[in-house]
Amino acid sequence: MAIRLDYVARETGSNLARNFTLTFAAIITVAVSLTMVAASYLIGEGINNSFLGLRSEQRLFVYMNPTATGDQVDAVSAAIDNSGQVDDVDYLDREKTFEVFQTLFRDQPELVSTVEPEDLPTSFQIKPTSTDAEVVSSLGDSLETLDGVRTVQYAAEYARNIQRSVTTLNTWVRFVGVILITASVLLIFNTIRTAVFARRREIEVQRLVGARNWFIRMPFIAEGLVHGLLGAVLAAGGAIAFDSLWKRNFVDQVSFELLNQIRWDSSDLVMSIVIVVVIGALTGAIGSGIAVSRFLRI
Amino acid sequence: MIKLESVTKVYKGEHVALRDASADIAKGEFVFLVGPSGSGKSTFLRLLNREERPEKGDIFVAGKDIGRLSNHKVPDLRRNVGSIFQDFKLLPTKNVHENVAFALEAIGRPRSEIREAVPQILDLVGLTSKSRNMPDELSGGEQQRVSIARAFVNRPLILLADEPTGNLDPATSVGIMKLLDRINRTGTTVVMATHDRGIVDTMRRRVIELDNGRIVRDQVRGVYE
Repeated sequence: MAIRLDYVARETGSNLARNFTLTFAAIITVAVSLTMVAASYLIGEGINNSFLGLRSEQRLFVYMNPTATGDQVDAVSAAIDNSGQVDDVDYLDREKTFEVFQTLFRDQPELVSTVEPEDLPTSFQIKPTSTDAEVVSSLGDSLETLDGVRTVQYAAEYARNIQRSVTTLNTWVRFVGVILITASVLLIFNTIRTAVFARRREIEVQRLVGARNWFIRMPFIAEGLVHGLLGAVLAAGGAIAFDSLWKRNFVDQVSFELLNQIRWDSSDLVMSIVIVVVIGALTGAIGSGIAVSRFLRI
Repeated sequence: MIKLESVTKVYKGEHVALRDASADIAKGEFVFLVGPSGSGKSTFLRLLNREERPEKGDIFVAGKDIGRLSNHKVPDLRRNVGSIFQDFKLLPTKNVHENVAFALEAIGRPRSEIREAVPQILDLVGLTSKSRNMPDELSGGEQQRVSIARAFVNRPLILLADEPTGNLDPATSVGIMKLLDRINRTGTTVVMATHDRGIVDTMRRRVIELDNGRIVRDQVRGVYE
């Protein structure tokens, strides 16, 4: 026996209209929580993308003491060659070092202006064979102990710090998103419970005349699904808005050095919408499913 | 059609609503359940459509042991057992036609069948002219007719009536009883719980008297007491 779709549509529609305030609250909560989930997903993808970029640019600089002797420089050079972990190495004299310094700290002009080539030590610019941060830093640690070496710096360190902050922020966004999804499930649960209560007479009659359990439950499950899916549609709009806001405000904006490297493409946006719709449908189905199984016994 | 074998029903572990009750009701019988309030009449009826399950004993309805019926088979039982009540249980937001149609929709009957069956049954209960009225525009007797139409539109084998005239004046009650009698004559088994001495004494049908959960009398062509 096929269920009559017009029946489900009519009953679900009248439930939604009757329960307007709760329905509205449930949909908005779903929308906000799913927007946070989408934003969190996009930022996460953006971080992964930027991290991949940084890993391939993983470089470290070994700065010699200005007073280092030629023998000490040679010893460091030999250690680098013998480490077996170095793909490419450049020795930079003072002028070259100054050029690199200017490039690296172009966003801090006040720092650049106080430094002259003579102030800078000579250095080795090393491209390690491995892009693994652990390996790179252990290589740096071993070189730092050599005589004549003043310090070892990592080009990606600042980027990693930014990345860490953004990741932490993103974890919180995700955490709040999950809490809000839980709230959405509870809100949908309560909305459906209210709908079941409002329709208890109809349900009683349906039971008495021999309606099947799923027939009685279907409009309520459909109502929960509508909550979840309408919330998801709004959240998809939220994700698209977040995407364009991020691109307009951060991506390719020089003032947000490094934050502007957190970027994603349209396939990530599509994926975030798919995730939002799936979670929205699940949220609605779970919330209403629990409500009908608890309050609709035959 | 209906058979109870040593049925005991206990509510919340202590209150015994029905004790060791046995009865055999044949197809097409009209049976009155009488007895004081709390004697177990309603429980008797509620056991027959599996609203309740007995603690002990077996109940057979239309050849099925309904104590052993799995939950998903209960709707099939209820499609064969119509129920009417003292308070009618009509849906106040639906008109007469919609109230009756609702019963057929709930069991997934096609629209074409509903269009045909509802006017027929409204004609049977004498409410054709009121099919667009809302329940609160009807008298008590008319409301009970709608509820009978709803219970009978699916042509069940059995009709259970729990004090159907309890809210009606004597003249209206007679009309309802004539309707139930007519339905009974189509071969439908009717089991009716009642306090209405006049009706029982006038109709002279089988009477099962309950007292404190026990069947104390089972009399063919009986009277109220």
